[in-house]
Amino acid sequence: MLIKIALLLVFSAFALFLSVDLVLWLAIPRLANILTQLGLALLMAAFGLLLTAGLFIMTKLTLTAFLDYISAKQRLERRLLFIDAKQEQLKSLFYFKTVQITYFSDLKRKRLLQANNKKHLQSLSKAIHNDLRTLKKHLPKAHYQQLQQIYHQSLKEHNIEALLKLQSEIATLI
Amino acid sequence: MEREKSEQENKLKHHRVLAAKALEADLKKRSVQLEHDITILRTKNEAELTMFKTKCQQDIKDYKQYLTALDHLKSSIQSSYTHLPEAVAFTIHHHAKHLLNQLWDAKEVDQKMHHEMQLINFMTTVHEESRRYLEGTSSNPLPEKTLNLIQSKPLNSE
Repeated sequence: MLIKIALLLVFSAFALFLSVDLVLWLAIPRLANILTQLGLALLMAAFGLLLTAGLFIMTKLTLTAFLDYISAKQRLERRLLFIDAKQEQLKSLFYFKTVQITYFSDLKRKRLLQANNKKHLQSLSKAIHNDLRTLKKHLPKAHYQQLQQIYHQSLKEHNIEALLKLQSEIATLI
Repeated sequence: MEREKSEQENKLKHHRVLAAKALEADLKKRSVQLEHDITILRTKNEAELTMFKTKCQQDIKDYKQYLTALDHLKSSIQSSYTHLPEAVAFTIHHHAKHLLNQLWDAKEVDQKMHHEMQLINFMTTVHEESRRYLEGTSSNPLPEKTLNLIQSKPLNSE
């Protein structure tokens, strides 16, 4: 409605401006001056009205949106969304906690295995070292050095399989 | 006519208010239900996590015990077969450890059962042979059955 009035005012103002030309053609400058003033006033009133209408509509929309936002329905809908998200979060948290427990459990087991391997590796290397010392005088120097090299290399790499193979080889030589 | 229109509008407004209230009640009910579900889920998750944690701790404990048992197995072989080359005792121990790790790394229950049986069978054979050798009922200077088991299932076979 307000927009309609504003448009009407604008058209009236234009009509007045056109009538000013007509009045000037009729050579009535005083009336032309009054009509111009009136036209300008109408135009200003139209823009003022449009501005007021805009502000009014914006305020109304903002207020409606705000009231809608705090309405019981929307509040409950937001609550439902929040609970839903919370449920998903709990599920993810459960999954990641399971992964974490598995990871630390595996780590602990690997450490136990490493400690045990280290213990037996030391025992095995000691046995090989003693056997190699016994064999030193009975083996050709090159062969002995080759066995020593394999021994050191396997020990460095913590390669139990290679050390076992070496010990089996030494056992056949003793 | 005007009055009829106004009545209809009022009726419509009334229906709209009723529908909004019904929706509100429904949403409230769902919200309460979901909150209840969350409480149940939280409790369930906590219980399951505690159980899982306990299971993992027990698994670690079992693994440790298995390692100790394997260490005893090695000592038992070494004390029974005093003349046995060190390499053989180490190989037996290493093979038993390999079986143990296979058991722990298996994902399926069937596979786990299979590897557990293999390990138990292997350990029983070793202990049985050691016992028989110590008692003098076996004259074999080597734990033949154990070595046969190792040969039938070399480390890189599975």
